[in-house]
Amino acid sequence: MAIRQTLDNLEPHFHKGGKYEKFYPLFEAVDTIFYAPPDVAKTTAHVRDGVDLKRIMITVWLCTFPAMFFGMWNAGWMANSAIAEGFTSMGTWREAIMMTLAGGHDPGSLWANLVLGATYFLPIYLVTFVVGGFWEVLFAIKRGHEVNEGFFVTSILYALILPATIPLWQVALGITFGVVIGKEIFGGTGKNFLNPALTGRAFLYFAYPAQISGDAIWVAADGYSGATALSVAFQDGMAAVSSQWSWWDAFLGFVPGSVGETSTLAILIGLVVLLWTKIASWRIVLGVFLGMVAMSALLNLIGSDTNPMFAMPWYWHLVVGGFAFGMVFMATDPVSASMTNQGRLIFGALIGVMTVLIRVVNPAFPEGIMLAILFANLFAPLIDYIFVQANIKRRMQRTGVPAEETA
Amino acid sequence: MSAANAKSVLTTPIFKNNPIALQILGICSALAVTTSMSVSLVMTLAVIFVTAFSNLFVSLIRHHIPSSIRIIVQMTIIASLVIVVDQILKAYAYEMSKQLSVFVGLIITNCIVMGRAEGFAMTNTPGMSFLDGIGNGIGYGFILMTVGFFRELLGAGSVFGFTVLQPVQDGGWYVPNGLLLLPPSAFFIIGLIIWVLRAMDPGQVEENEFKMKANTQPKEAV
Amino acid sequence: MAQSNNSIKKILTVAFALCIVCSIIVSTAAVALRSKQQFNQELDRKTNILEVAQLYESGMDVNETFESEITPRVVDLRSGEYTDEFDPSTYEGFQARRDPAASRTLSGEKDIAGLTRQENYSTVYLVGDPDDPEQIILPIRGQGLWGLMRGFLSVEGDGNTIVGITYYEHAETPGLGGEVNNPRWQAQWEGKEIFDEEGELAPAIALVKGGASGETEVDALSGATLTSNGVTNMLQFWLSPEGFGDYLARFREGIDRAEAQDANVELESSGGA
Repeated sequence: MAIRQTLDNLEPHFHKGGKYEKFYPLFEAVDTIFYAPPDVAKTTAHVRDGVDLKRIMITVWLCTFPAMFFGMWNAGWMANSAIAEGFTSMGTWREAIMMTLAGGHDPGSLWANLVLGATYFLPIYLVTFVVGGFWEVLFAIKRGHEVNEGFFVTSILYALILPATIPLWQVALGITFGVVIGKEIFGGTGKNFLNPALTGRAFLYFAYPAQISGDAIWVAADGYSGATALSVAFQDGMAAVSSQWSWWDAFLGFVPGSVGETSTLAILIGLVVLLWTKIASWRIVLGVFLGMVAMSALLNLIGSDTNPMFAMPWYWHLVVGGFAFGMVFMATDPVSASMTNQGRLIFGALIGVMTVLIRVVNPAFPEGIMLAILFANLFAPLIDYIFVQANIKRRMQRTGVPAEETA
Repeated sequence: MSAANAKSVLTTPIFKNNPIALQILGICSALAVTTSMSVSLVMTLAVIFVTAFSNLFVSLIRHHIPSSIRIIVQMTIIASLVIVVDQILKAYAYEMSKQLSVFVGLIITNCIVMGRAEGFAMTNTPGMSFLDGIGNGIGYGFILMTVGFFRELLGAGSVFGFTVLQPVQDGGWYVPNGLLLLPPSAFFIIGLIIWVLRAMDPGQVEENEFKMKANTQPKEAV
Repeated sequence: MAQSNNSIKKILTVAFALCIVCSIIVSTAAVALRSKQQFNQELDRKTNILEVAQLYESGMDVNETFESEITPRVVDLRSGEYTDEFDPSTYEGFQARRDPAASRTLSGEKDIAGLTRQENYSTVYLVGDPDDPEQIILPIRGQGLWGLMRGFLSVEGDGNTIVGITYYEHAETPGLGGEVNNPRWQAQWEGKEIFDEEGELAPAIALVKGGASGETEVDALSGATLTSNGVTNMLQFWLSPEGFGDYLARFREGIDRAEAQDANVELESSGGA
């Protein structure tokens, strides 16, 4: 109980009139890491459950771990393979760490790959966490509410959807935009209608396209040009993709891409846990999946002579680019998605359809899931409204009295 | 309104009652022409000219405008002024008019001009109306220039065309922010300006449309 | 007062008077300023041409330099011969592309630049002696990523070596495709060659990704694959016998003119426009 005592001893300083009154949100954040919050429901509306926001967020955070570790390994493996082919590595301090910990760039060594990947991913994550956390705490102190744990998830998701080679100052700018413009302006966690991680990435995508799209940025070796499966398909068609990688390569994740997005398998492991703990809505996931299958099947039927993307079958759409990651971790964000059960299906389907449409028909952006989810986020309140109104109407017909205002 | 003095008519539209930031009028052109400061400046001058003179002329003949066709009368006056401005720009500032393209013509549909003619000039003296037009034009221009400043500085590394931050494409160190060269970025900047203005002057913040009921207390709820 | 203002008579009087006054003001402005505006438009076109020929310096008298250095001629794109049917100072190929009598429809595979219609005659600008020009400036256009791009290409008197390229109208993404007008990118065009072998009719010039090496390769715009493809396609189109290929053949050595003509005829008949 030593921790409890220390915390209790400290607590008065943070209360009204205490020395550090302003920093109560910080204290609260640390306290609830170790112990359940002291608050008890004082009114009639409450749910009995041991799970609070912090536990939910930590579960999601853990669910990204398979994708994260595989992503680090993959980033390292890609870079080490390129270096083994004669390309030079990037960055001097990374070189020093590599030599100390792994002793060289051996693409066959699990450890060497993981270390090199970590030297790229961990700084990105660290910068995300520090900069984003700074804004989070600043707003919490200024507005006098607790630090919201949603940021835990935002930061890891944001870091995982960036390419390994992205400059760190851009990481900082992106998360700043995502947290401030995507979330805090609208009142913080729970009131943001956009997914903050995606908002941050979208900002980078339009502000600094050269560092987040194209062929040269995915593999961390100087001058190495490795296009993602999606952009190969976009430029040269499906035949070029299947000659380079098998479907299993893409499914398991041995392809270039953003750190956490490459392995569909690792992402699906996370999905199983999310669904089992009922944190993610299966309706959204199903909606996204069905929407994608339907739209890609339709485009396969239509066909096109000039646009090779029309021919991409649904099982390839599933494993290339950020589709799986977006479907599992981004679309299911409980705040920015639809809240009604029927609405979730529609919301998901909208994402699936839009993703394929943007991927296939839009000439400029090979990847579509990011924009599709942001787009669907905008429609989520409208979708909910329609279903809630329909429900009210049905109830009125059944009971014959207008719904009373319920507490 | 009748008691308004010249100074307040001229200055309130700049911060207190800004046509873009508070009334949210004239946003469209603010998105389109603010990629560089010099273009924003020319647009500002054009709008000041049109608003001031349309206010003046509408006010001059306000006692003779039949109310049934007053909107058309205002529109005709504004449209004529805009065409004149457009012609002058094409003749004397061709480069500018090429960059502004259709947006000079679209001043006709700029809500600020119509709004001031209908809302102020119809009921005030010509002198006051003229000042009001200038004031609102400056208020519009203030936002335009601020947006233009940030978009040009961060998007292209220059101010009024003079390079301040040497971009990497030309061998410098600054990586230009491409988002700021795209029209939607003006939305973000205008939003941030509104945030700042409202933080400085809380009177601009609207009343809540509704208040949430407090939760029922335990003892009430048996 | 309100009463009298809303009488039919008053309404008509006000409306009529207003229309008269406004139309007088507008038409006066338009007529008085027209010559000045046309002068500006001309000046702008001439400046663009001088820029691509690398003759432009800021502050120079554009009109005077243009008059002394440059001779516009109209070329029949089908034969590659000059024609005197049109006045070169007023003829606009871009306008003529809509005229069914003076243009043709481009179909499917031939239309790599995405033009749909192409004029039969086009204006070229010759620098120096019109009979033995130092540079030949060709108008080019084609689809980029977001829309039509229009510009000029300047070629040396040998009909093969490039002097420069410039775009005066495009809608490409700023910072990516918009870099077509970056002077650093434009600078690398100088000295590149259009055709890779003597006698060859199909142009070889192309943008390539990741480091251009040969005489006919230029670095693509980074991050702007589709704009780069657009630029390649429009050059390939306008420099082939479909565009200025036959005309350029006049200046190039080692080209059998008759053969070129035949090839062209063949192309046209097989195209079956």
